[in-house]
Amino acid sequence: MELTTWLTDLLDGNLIFTPQTLGYYWDGLVTTSQLVFLSLLAGLVLAIPLAIGRSSRHRWISLPIYVYTYVFRGTPLLIQLYIIYYGVVFVDGIQESIFWPLLREAFYPALIAFTLNTAAYTTEIFRGAIKATSRGEIEAARAYGMSNALTMRRIVLPSAFRRALPAYGNEVIFMLHASAIASVVTLMDLTGAARFVYARFYAPFEAFLFVAAIYLCLTFAILYFFRFLEKRLLAHLKPA
Amino acid sequence: MAATPMPLEARNIKKRFGDTEVLKGLSLQAHKGDVITLIGASGSGKSTFLRCMNLLEQPDEGDLLMHGDEIRFKQTQRGREPADWKQVVRMRAKLSMVFQSFNLWAHMTLLENIIEAPIHVLGKPKKEALEQAHALLERVGLTARANAYPAQMSGGQQQRGAIARALAMDPEVMLFDEPTSALDPELVGDVLKVMRDLADEGRTMVVVTHEMGFARDVSSQVIYLHQGLIEEAGPPREILANPSSPRLQQFLAPKY
Amino acid sequence: MLDLQGYGPRLIEGAGVTLSLALLSLLLAIVLGLLTASAKMSRNWLLHKFATLYTTVIRGVPDLVLMMLLFFGGQMALNVATDALYDRFGVDWYINLNAFAAGVITIGFIFGAYMGETFRGAFLAVDEGQIEAGRAYGMSDWLVFRRIRFPLMMRHALPGLSNNWMVLLKTTALVSVIGLSDMVRVAAEASRATHEPFVFLIPVALIYLAIASVSELIFARLQKRYNVGFGGH
Repeated sequence: MELTTWLTDLLDGNLIFTPQTLGYYWDGLVTTSQLVFLSLLAGLVLAIPLAIGRSSRHRWISLPIYVYTYVFRGTPLLIQLYIIYYGVVFVDGIQESIFWPLLREAFYPALIAFTLNTAAYTTEIFRGAIKATSRGEIEAARAYGMSNALTMRRIVLPSAFRRALPAYGNEVIFMLHASAIASVVTLMDLTGAARFVYARFYAPFEAFLFVAAIYLCLTFAILYFFRFLEKRLLAHLKPA
Repeated sequence: MAATPMPLEARNIKKRFGDTEVLKGLSLQAHKGDVITLIGASGSGKSTFLRCMNLLEQPDEGDLLMHGDEIRFKQTQRGREPADWKQVVRMRAKLSMVFQSFNLWAHMTLLENIIEAPIHVLGKPKKEALEQAHALLERVGLTARANAYPAQMSGGQQQRGAIARALAMDPEVMLFDEPTSALDPELVGDVLKVMRDLADEGRTMVVVTHEMGFARDVSSQVIYLHQGLIEEAGPPREILANPSSPRLQQFLAPKY
Repeated sequence: MLDLQGYGPRLIEGAGVTLSLALLSLLLAIVLGLLTASAKMSRNWLLHKFATLYTTVIRGVPDLVLMMLLFFGGQMALNVATDALYDRFGVDWYINLNAFAAGVITIGFIFGAYMGETFRGAFLAVDEGQIEAGRAYGMSDWLVFRRIRFPLMMRHALPGLSNNWMVLLKTTALVSVIGLSDMVRVAAEASRATHEPFVFLIPVALIYLAIASVSELIFARLQKRYNVGFGGH
C-alpha cells in the first residue's frame, strides 16, 4: 500500500507514466524475461548434443545439423517467427492435439521460434569451442584409457564450456534484444508495452526511451554477470 | 592372462603416412625393470614407434603384446584398427604415457589432473585416489602446487606433475615421449632426477629422448633408430661407447 | 510459376527494397563506423566520450526499439522543427520521413556503432612501422591513409565487416514492422490474406539465404585480395 501511495505521489501530474502504464511495463518485463530465459534454457539443452553431433566425423550426422544451423543463422528471426506463428495452424492434427490450447497463444510459437534460433547459434559457438580443444589434452585422455564418451564428458566439454563463455554471453544479450520482435505477433513484452503506450498517448520519446533504458540496464546486468562468471571459471587460463 | 615376465612386446611394427613408410618393421621387448631408451635423429620414427605402443597411432602391420596377451586387430575401410577397443582401453590403463608438451588438462588443478583417470578409468574410491595423489605430489616435490592450474606452473613443474599423473595409474610400463625437449635447460635436471629415481625403483620404462647422459647412465638398453629401422641396439656401455655403425658414430659425435 | 497468386511481382519488388535498403544502410554504417573509430582513437576527450556513449547505448538496446524511436520520434521531432521554422521565419517546409529513409538512417546508425568497433580494432592492428615508412618516403597524410593504412586495415577489418553485413542483412526484416514494403512485409501480408504462409515465407527465407551465400563468396574473394603477401590467412 505504501509503495502505491509513494508511486502515486511521485507520478502526480504525469499523464503518461501512471501506475497503470508502469504496470504494463512491469508485465512486459515479466513476459520478456520468461521468453528469453526459457528459450535460452531450452536452446542450451538442444545445443549440447547438436554441437557434439556437428563435431562428428560422420557426415550423415554432422551435415543435417550444419544445414539446420546454416538456415537458422542465415535467415531473419522474424521470418522464422512468422513461419511458426502462421504455420502452426497447418500442421496436420495439431488442432486436435492437447498442445493446441497452448499453441494458439502467441507466447508458445514465439518461444519455439526463439528456442530453435538460439539453439542454432549456440550449437555453432559450442562446436567452435569443442574444435579448439587442445589435441594433446585429448591424447592424454586416450593414453590414460578413457573411452570416447568419457573423454567428451570429462575433458572436452568442461573445457569447451569455459572457452565458449564470452561468446555465449553475447548470444544471451543478442536473444534479449531479438526478443523485442515478439511484440510483432501481438505479445505484450517490454517492446509491446512501449508500443501500446506510444499508440495510446502518441508519445514516442517517453514510450521508447523508457523501454530503451530498461533494456540497457538488463544488458549491463547480463554483461556483468558473465564477466563475473568468466573471472571465476576462466581463472585457470591465466598465469598466476 | 599368463603372467609372463615381459610386460610389453612389439613385433615387426610397420607404419606409413601416405606414401612415406616411417616405421619399416620395428621390434622391442621390455622385460620387467627394463629401461629402454630410443634415440635417433628427428624423423627417424622414434616417437611414432612409441605412440604405436599404446595405439595413439595405429600400426599398419605388426603385433603388440602385454604379458603375452596379443592385441587383436581387424581390417576396416579406413585401414587396420583394433578389433576390441575395450581391450585397448585396458591396455592403455596399464601403460602410462608422459608427453613432450605435458598435456595436463588445463581446466583442472594439478590434484584434479592426478585423480581424474584413477577415479574414472580404474574406478578407485575418491578418498584413496586423493591419498595416493598427495603422496605422489610429495614425491615429485609439488605438494605446494596441488591446487594450481597448469597455466600457473612452470614447464618443469608441469612435467613433474604429469609424471605424478602417470604414476597414479599404477602403470606396469611407463612411456616417455621426449619428456624434457620442451623445457628450458635449467628445468631439465629436476625432471631427469625424478625419472632416474623411477628407474632405480625398478620401474619398466620406454623413453624417447635426446638426453644422452640419461641414456648412458640409466637405461638397460639403447635402441638407435635410423629412417624407420633399428640401426643398432644394445646395452648403453657397448653401443654408446663403441658404436659399430658409422651413422651412430656420427650421431654421437660432438656437434661443435 | 513466379506469380504466387498475384503476389509474385510484389515479392520481387520487396526483394529489391530489401537489397537496396541493406546496401545503402551498409554504406552509411561504414561511413559512421570510420568516423566513430577515428573519434574513439582521437586525443579529443569529448569526441572520445561521445563515441563511447554512442557505441555503448546502441549496442545495449534492441534494434527494433531504436527503429521505432527514430521512426516515430524522428517524425515528431521533424514536425516540431518545421513548425518552429514556420512560426519564426515563415518558411513553409514540411518534411515527411518516409519509411525507407527512416530504415536506412536507423539501420545505418545502429550498425555504425558495430562498424566503429570493427574499424577501431583493425586500425590498432596495423603495424605503425609501415606507416612511418610511408611518411619517411615523403607521402602526404592522405596518401599514407589511402595507399598504406587503409589497405592494411581492411585485411583486419574484413572478417568483422563480413559478420556485420550478415547481421545487418537480417536486421532489414525489421523495417517491415514500421510499414516499409520489403519482402518480409509482402510475404506476411500474403500469408494472412491467403492462409498459405509457407508458400510466401519459405521463398523469402531462401532469398535471404541466397543473398547471404553470395555475400560469403564475395567476402572470401575480398579477403583473398587483401591477404596478398600475408601468406595464408
